[in-house]
Amino acid sequence: MKTVSRLFLSLLCLQTIPVDADDRPDGGGNKSFSEVIQPVFRASCVKCHGKGDTVEGKVNLFNLQKASDLTANPELIRDLIEAIDSSYMPPEDETPLPADTRKQLVSQLRQLLQVALHSQKTVPRTPIRRMNRFQYNNAVQDLFQLNVEVFSLPERMLREHGNYFQPQTGKMPDQLRAGSRPLGKSQLIERRLAGVAPFPQDLRAEHGFDNRGDHLSLSPLLLESFLKLGRSIVESPDFHEKTCGIWSDCFAAPTSEQSEIEDEIRSRLRRFLTRAFRRPVEDETLDRYAGYVLSQIEDGEPFTNAMKSATAAALASPRFFYIYDRSVDETRPAKHPDDFDLASRLSFFLWGSIPDESLLEVAASGTLHEPAVLSAQVDRMLRDRRLKRFCDSFPSQWLQLERIITSEPDRERYPQFYFAKFRASMHMMLEPLLLFEAVLIEDRSILTFIDSDFSYRSNLLESWYRDGTQSKPTPVAISFRRVPVTDRRQGGMITNAAVMTMTSGATRTQPITRGAWMATVILNDPPEPPPADVPLLAEKPEGDESRLTLRERFAEHRKRADCAGCHRRIDPLGFALENYDVAGLWRDKYENGRTVDPSGTLFGRHKFGDIVEFKDALLTEKDRFTRAFASHLLSFAIGREVGVADSLALDQIVEESAAAEYRFKSLIRHVVLSEPFLRREEKVELKTGILSP
Amino acid sequence: MKPTTRRSFLRGAAGATLSLPWLESLAADDAASKKPALRMAVFYVPIGVVRRGFFPGEQENEIPTFTSNQKEIARRQEVAVGLHPLENLTPTQQPLEKLKNKVTLITGMDRFYKHGSDLHAQCASCFLSSATAHSVNSSVYPLARTLDHIVADQVGDSTPFRSLEFSCNSHRDNKESIYFDNVSWYGTNHVAPSIRDPRKAYRRMFGTQEIQTYRDITDLVLADARVLQRRLGRADRQKFAEYFDGIRTIEEQMDKLEKMKSELAKVSIEEPPESHLPRGEYIRLMGDLMVAALQSGLTNVATMMIGPERWDTPLRYESLFDKPMSHHGMSHNQKKFVKQLLQVDRFHMEQFAYLVQKMDAIQEADGSSLLDNTIFTYGSGLGDGATHQYTDLPIIVAGSGGGRLRTGQHLHCSDGTPLANLWLTHSQIMGVQAERFADSTGVVERLLV
Repeated sequence: MKTVSRLFLSLLCLQTIPVDADDRPDGGGNKSFSEVIQPVFRASCVKCHGKGDTVEGKVNLFNLQKASDLTANPELIRDLIEAIDSSYMPPEDETPLPADTRKQLVSQLRQLLQVALHSQKTVPRTPIRRMNRFQYNNAVQDLFQLNVEVFSLPERMLREHGNYFQPQTGKMPDQLRAGSRPLGKSQLIERRLAGVAPFPQDLRAEHGFDNRGDHLSLSPLLLESFLKLGRSIVESPDFHEKTCGIWSDCFAAPTSEQSEIEDEIRSRLRRFLTRAFRRPVEDETLDRYAGYVLSQIEDGEPFTNAMKSATAAALASPRFFYIYDRSVDETRPAKHPDDFDLASRLSFFLWGSIPDESLLEVAASGTLHEPAVLSAQVDRMLRDRRLKRFCDSFPSQWLQLERIITSEPDRERYPQFYFAKFRASMHMMLEPLLLFEAVLIEDRSILTFIDSDFSYRSNLLESWYRDGTQSKPTPVAISFRRVPVTDRRQGGMITNAAVMTMTSGATRTQPITRGAWMATVILNDPPEPPPADVPLLAEKPEGDESRLTLRERFAEHRKRADCAGCHRRIDPLGFALENYDVAGLWRDKYENGRTVDPSGTLFGRHKFGDIVEFKDALLTEKDRFTRAFASHLLSFAIGREVGVADSLALDQIVEESAAAEYRFKSLIRHVVLSEPFLRREEKVELKTGILSP
Repeated sequence: MKPTTRRSFLRGAAGATLSLPWLESLAADDAASKKPALRMAVFYVPIGVVRRGFFPGEQENEIPTFTSNQKEIARRQEVAVGLHPLENLTPTQQPLEKLKNKVTLITGMDRFYKHGSDLHAQCASCFLSSATAHSVNSSVYPLARTLDHIVADQVGDSTPFRSLEFSCNSHRDNKESIYFDNVSWYGTNHVAPSIRDPRKAYRRMFGTQEIQTYRDITDLVLADARVLQRRLGRADRQKFAEYFDGIRTIEEQMDKLEKMKSELAKVSIEEPPESHLPRGEYIRLMGDLMVAALQSGLTNVATMMIGPERWDTPLRYESLFDKPMSHHGMSHNQKKFVKQLLQVDRFHMEQFAYLVQKMDAIQEADGSSLLDNTIFTYGSGLGDGATHQYTDLPIIVAGSGGGRLRTGQHLHCSDGTPLANLWLTHSQIMGVQAERFADSTGVVERLLV
């Protein structure tokens, strides 16, 4: 038990609801299994899931004999809860479970999941990883306090003009200017360090982010880049007292006496290395770096150059460009998370960069892990301009917005999409990002992402939403205005022009793509890997098909029973959006004159007739959306995939978030205070006995 | 710079992770030896091929509709299992007409697919993998050290670069994960990233002075690495070995590149321009760089991925289509796009033939050609882009691996012959002493001279 942090234990105790304590010692939950779960499975599930030779969807419920058969497989329990709670199972053509039975079954399964998780021997952790390109750029900028970019980052989709982003005000300005980096003219021409060549962009993990620990490994090729980068940064002709904020504290030749030069070097290096390595440097390291600078000076190098070489070395040091947690060892039993580890975790989450000096000071005082102190730091960081890095990385990846870069609606049908060498998507892609920033800075409810009564639009977007015409485009710095959205078909993250365009083909909408996007992004329940089983529809209907609606055409193409399972989940999500055409414009009828039918049922229980009712249905299921969003956020925060082991923590985050009216900042705070974020152990050995007194 | 200290330190620091021998001056020894080195290269083609264009006896087959149970297409005209002289080339193979006595077509080889990840992702990333279906627990991909690195472990120490990884992925969005974009892996979860930019590749291979500049800081950072390593838990320590491996590899590279300076000056290849190149020129330029590396002794092992798996963004194929097309998108609708897909397949084969021809024209010290001393494999991880089958893969091996492999043949293997048998054969010829490779059942005896 010695490796269990006190905090972790107390969290566990809060969440622990003893299940069938009298059923011990055989694992717990047997009574609920034999009296509730098994009878329902036998009556309503095994016909397709296990009896005879039928094992649909690789789920066999017939073999389950006792609770431990389930608790040995928490992933299965999670999937069962998901399928039953969402009414995906039993399928439409079977007898539905009575509402009471469903409720009872889900609640029993939830308790069983707790039992299962508490008996898990290992917990997931984030491995040591190198910084990704975005983090490296930010970290170098912060370390040297550069007022120029290190290198250009096309992955940052929005270019801020005129410093509109001022989170300390708690208000997003009504008017602002922004540019689109991937598509805009000259958006990458900016003040930066000449002669510095970046390493390649890091790819986003499937259904994840580009900061995932298991994806960020090092190769000799990349290491060469890191080694070269350090040098090329300090040796860039643009690296000097005007661009580097720490010039006088670090590089400028000291005025002190020759006899004191060593002390001066040591004190400068101590400050620099502490910041670069995000924890106090031990004397051994300081000696080494100071010795290096002194030997350079002895060899005749000017002071500034010697310091540049030392700082270049620090940039190539793994202690700078790796993100890692110190291990717990016998000599340092873990009472609480290591405060310096925690400081880095926090700063890489919210600033995509290293901690600043005040965060390191709090860590040094040994109090950062205290919830009140931690919350105060989160609040401070959320009001800092460096929060822009979070807004430059999380939302675009969460929404998979990079997909719009290559979206090109048919030029003949949508000539207004194109102007000069540019596209309307330049404007479209900025709208959801600006809405995201507003919700964050103003600490609004995250439900605004489903349904917002305001948005940020350019002239082009305003006329686009009004009547689909083009207005005078401005390709460089685009002016955006905060506009009220009274038409609930618009607003939010789902029905904006960017998402509707990027989930469509050139000439027809792709409801399945849209459904998969919705399932992945909004509900965080990604469907199985893309439909290797289903033929794509032809872009243009052939023969008799031309009379059909898209929905009818899909039905024709999808008669196989084994496809139905997934599609029952995805299709209603995608078809709900059918009123938005390939470029996000509203339509009531298809080109063949047939009326668009967006109706469907969400989670088998909320019938909707149009997109507004669909949004209402999603809002009814607000905890489900919150959980999905929190899970994305947590995954981004801890740099790993969120799994079933994190589900209790997520439950708690959602509960606390609901109590705080789903406000974005409180959600972030609860993610930071959650057990997975604070965990430090490599391996927590928990015994099932933790449930007994 | 104090190389001795650094190295002895390195050995101490990384401990057991540095199990490879430290070979100081092999580059010099190499130049003195008479027999040219054996080389191995891989030319990976994404998204399978159109079967009726590529496979003998299937020209009249129906065009498959998109299935994906990975059900194999039934062959209309059975080819007998065994070795046949390679006489009539199929339409897709036509570009190899003049070279057909230097290549061997292999059909009928299969791979396994492990459920749990996307078909396309696994198809490239696990193509050269040495893992059996259930040997890897820490990843959904049955992915361990790939063939190229296993071979490089054997033959890579004598060259500045143990291996080189090239890619012709010119997509500018980051639509797919690393698993769609890499055939070369150091191990599970540890990608060996490839170079996509010809200029970067050129500078890495021929620009020694850049590397010099950081020699003097490696002492400092290695000491830091040791401090850091002490603080890590066991799992992290294992992953962090990548840093020591990297430093060691770079140092070896520097030493060896320096010794080769005069040799490299003789290679006639110019620094590539920065401008956008049409797809064909781009692929050939990357290929030229790969051949130059193999020719000059910069490396003995190279992989080249001609394009990524899936990645639905349309690409320009300047010589083929007047607008950007998506290879993957078309493959899902073979009935409609069969003509274009056949063009793409043939286009890729033309690039392969160009490189085979190029290798064949390069004479080595003993009078043999570079191709003679190379095993250069064309292959795809799917037997067909529409059916997503992992069986009956399209494979062509060019070169005879120093006279060890038969050429001018068509080998048709019996059902269920693992592709790993070929990798086992290749690795043994390259000198790897292994009896098994992933799920291999033995070497491909029929290919051996």
